[in-house]
Amino acid sequence: MRNFKQLAWPYIVWCAIMLLLPMLLIFAYSVMEQGNEIVHFQLTFDNYIRFFTDPDFLLILWRSLAIAIKTTIICLILGYPIAYFIANRSDKVRNILVLCITLPMWINMLVRTYAWIGLLSSDGIISYILGIFGFGDQELLYTETAVLIGMVYNFLPFMILQINTALCKMDKSLLEASADLGANKVQTFLRVVFPLSLSGVVSGITLVFLPAVSSFFIPKLLGGGQFFLIGNVIENQFITVGEWNFGSAISMIMAAVMMLLMMLVRKVDAKSGKED
Amino acid sequence: MKKERNIFGKILMVLTIVFFYMPIIFMVVFSFNESKSLTHFTGFSLRWYEAMLKNHGMMESLYVTIIIALLATIVSTFVGTITAIGLSKSKKVIRNLVTQINDFPMMNPEIVTAIGLMLLFITFKIERGFVTLLLAHIAFCIPYVMLSVMPKIRSLDPNLADAAMDLGATPWQALSKVIVPQIMPGIVSGALIAFTMSFDDFIISYFSTGGGVKNLSIMVYTMSKRVNPSINAISTLVVVLITIVLVLVNVVPMIQKRTPEKTSKNPWKKCVVGVLVVVLAFFGFTRFGSSIQNKPYEGQTLHIYNWGEYTGEEVLGMFEEMTGAKVVMDNFDSNEQMYIKVANGESYDILVPSDYMIQRLIQEDMLQKLDKSKIQSGLDQLNPDVLGLPYDPNNDYSVPYFWGTVGIVYDKTKVSLEDLKKDGFGIFLDEKYRGDIYLYDSERDSFMMALKDLGYSMNTSNEQELQAAYDWLVQSVQTMEPEIVTDEIIDNMAQGRKALGLVYSGDAAYIMSENENMGYYMPESGTNLWSDAMVIPKNAKNVDLAHEFINFMCTYEAAMDNSSYVGYTSPNLEVMDELSSEGGDYDGINAYVPRTGYEKDEVFEYNEVSRKIISDLWSRVKVVASNAE
Repeated sequence: MRNFKQLAWPYIVWCAIMLLLPMLLIFAYSVMEQGNEIVHFQLTFDNYIRFFTDPDFLLILWRSLAIAIKTTIICLILGYPIAYFIANRSDKVRNILVLCITLPMWINMLVRTYAWIGLLSSDGIISYILGIFGFGDQELLYTETAVLIGMVYNFLPFMILQINTALCKMDKSLLEASADLGANKVQTFLRVVFPLSLSGVVSGITLVFLPAVSSFFIPKLLGGGQFFLIGNVIENQFITVGEWNFGSAISMIMAAVMMLLMMLVRKVDAKSGKED
Repeated sequence: MKKERNIFGKILMVLTIVFFYMPIIFMVVFSFNESKSLTHFTGFSLRWYEAMLKNHGMMESLYVTIIIALLATIVSTFVGTITAIGLSKSKKVIRNLVTQINDFPMMNPEIVTAIGLMLLFITFKIERGFVTLLLAHIAFCIPYVMLSVMPKIRSLDPNLADAAMDLGATPWQALSKVIVPQIMPGIVSGALIAFTMSFDDFIISYFSTGGGVKNLSIMVYTMSKRVNPSINAISTLVVVLITIVLVLVNVVPMIQKRTPEKTSKNPWKKCVVGVLVVVLAFFGFTRFGSSIQNKPYEGQTLHIYNWGEYTGEEVLGMFEEMTGAKVVMDNFDSNEQMYIKVANGESYDILVPSDYMIQRLIQEDMLQKLDKSKIQSGLDQLNPDVLGLPYDPNNDYSVPYFWGTVGIVYDKTKVSLEDLKKDGFGIFLDEKYRGDIYLYDSERDSFMMALKDLGYSMNTSNEQELQAAYDWLVQSVQTMEPEIVTDEIIDNMAQGRKALGLVYSGDAAYIMSENENMGYYMPESGTNLWSDAMVIPKNAKNVDLAHEFINFMCTYEAAMDNSSYVGYTSPNLEVMDELSSEGGDYDGINAYVPRTGYEKDEVFEYNEVSRKIISDLWSRVKVVASNAE
């Protein structure tokens, strides 16, 4: 059986080059002086100081987090009941519904987001429908609402699928036990079903929140050029401004913030798991 | 009670499905639209499919997407499975370490992974293109495969392989005959995840590709600024392909289950083969349409890096037809973006930068001198007004492509000419038009507008003047609620969505030809008289073909198609005269013929100090604008 152990080695080397080294490079660039040559290495924290002393950049970071949190909450509020509904269907119906939700994810994200431009524009279908209900003449495209719609659209399926998986794994006899012990439906849901689905909720939150913070094409396509989120700032530094050192520093800051938040979420998850 | 909740659930479910499918149905429907509109269906037509098939950049991107996805899936599934098996027998420390590192692409924001890979390729001077794109895709797919294979391995009896080998199987047999079949479901779902991830990827691809290799996402991203229903057409094609694949994957096993005969040995193999056949048949159909003839540059490729929406419909096809070469075009939307890519070693045969950028490229020794004997016939046809400009006095390095001015496009029904005459560029500070303006996302021209309005030279490197211009711009973005756009301005102004916008004259000419309510005004404070020209960088690979292209673009036929389609002023004198005279496409449109000889107009000059300041300040203006929402 010793033979099989060696199978892992090529990947360990690959891992070091393709996954670890890039992160080290970003870090190296972020603590270097202006310029892109590794050879003239000169340690500096100016790039970090520059970010943290500039209220405008901090505000952008905050706005990115805020819009990601909004997206996550909307996804959770919409996603949970949908997942619950799907989980309580018969096997056959459930499979079809899950397929229905997965299918759009197979079609390119950019392409689906691009379609929203036409739907949201001022003489588009959405405005027309809103007009029927008396909310006429709403400019939707290139607003925060448009970005929010785009994000919920792209990330809601992740939330639904994760929660659905958790709900399906649940042992159904627990519900009967709960009912036998005299709990009503609401109590059963709050004290049995929801805590047991929490692992799905947490991984759903991760899968929605993470891409929502760093997304840069959704704000660019649906928010217009003046709608900058932290992802756009990074893209801009690398593609147009050319200050890679500063861009790397922002990337590191974003990665660190995300990691902290994720650890927090996992901790909450672990804690609530224990309490029950 | 129970029924009621069911109804609520059902309504929610239906609404969700509608929400998920509305954009897709919208795309499919509007891909058959007769007109260019994305909001009004005027009649059935296949013209966008025709445009899509003609646009080989589009078909190429679809091909790249599918090939990359297939290769990345095959490699990452194989490596991921093997590694997962290997790891299950390794020491715990190693296993944990690898799992931790594997978490990087999943736990990090995608853009961070993408930038890391880009820095990796650039630091080690690996030319970005198809190979780097594939490597990047494999890199982020493997962790997902392992994630789905690992649990299956864990649930296996660890002695299974030993038992097989005790019974005389070789390690390879133990692996392929015993272990792999046991964990097949995990492998298959891993492969499916890998395929979806790769097929769908944008951010990582965007940063790790180069040399004109684009996947579908990148293509849509770069084309999305203008209304272009062929995007809907190609999306519909993707929807159809995906549906066929999914039906095959889901239905075939079902049918085979129903007929449990000898055939059901391995349904997956059949599915994969079926999918491959569909895909290959599709590409065989589209790719081998052209016949082989003897032409001077047969089999060669010309790489062009040009502005987006900056070439006529037919002109590249005409060049390919004439030379037999293939043209690959990449687009940028600012000079700075172009510079960064080229300065980092990306190789193109032709670039089309603006005046000051050409000056910079010459100063930094990045361009090669043109062989004038090869392009003389083309040069002779050009307008003397655009030759010998200060950035390249003898045209040793550059040949003009388009030229024009920067000005204000305005809706004559909403904005009075008096206001424009009184305010000049200052109209972008006039709160009467708050929420009704577009600014242009160009650091140079935004500062030009502010500097000119303040009465300074647009080539100033005086820090106080630049700071004053910055304050001017900040005031505008904070009080005027502008939208800062690039090419989006063209279609939006043509549809009269806003009253005012800062534009290049050529875009104004197009807008005015589409909408007669629009006018173009050049402030009396002076403006930027610019020109974009073709240059050959030092690291060009096909210099002869590049000269051929430059010469070709100066000819009447090429210049005519280019200018009449795009709306920018042609440097070919005959074409400019014909298009602006009676009966021409741009007859009576003042934006088409640039203002020459006006003393307050200037041409941009390159200055490293002011460039840095402007670049930094402009990114600050955008940050402020974003926070002002």
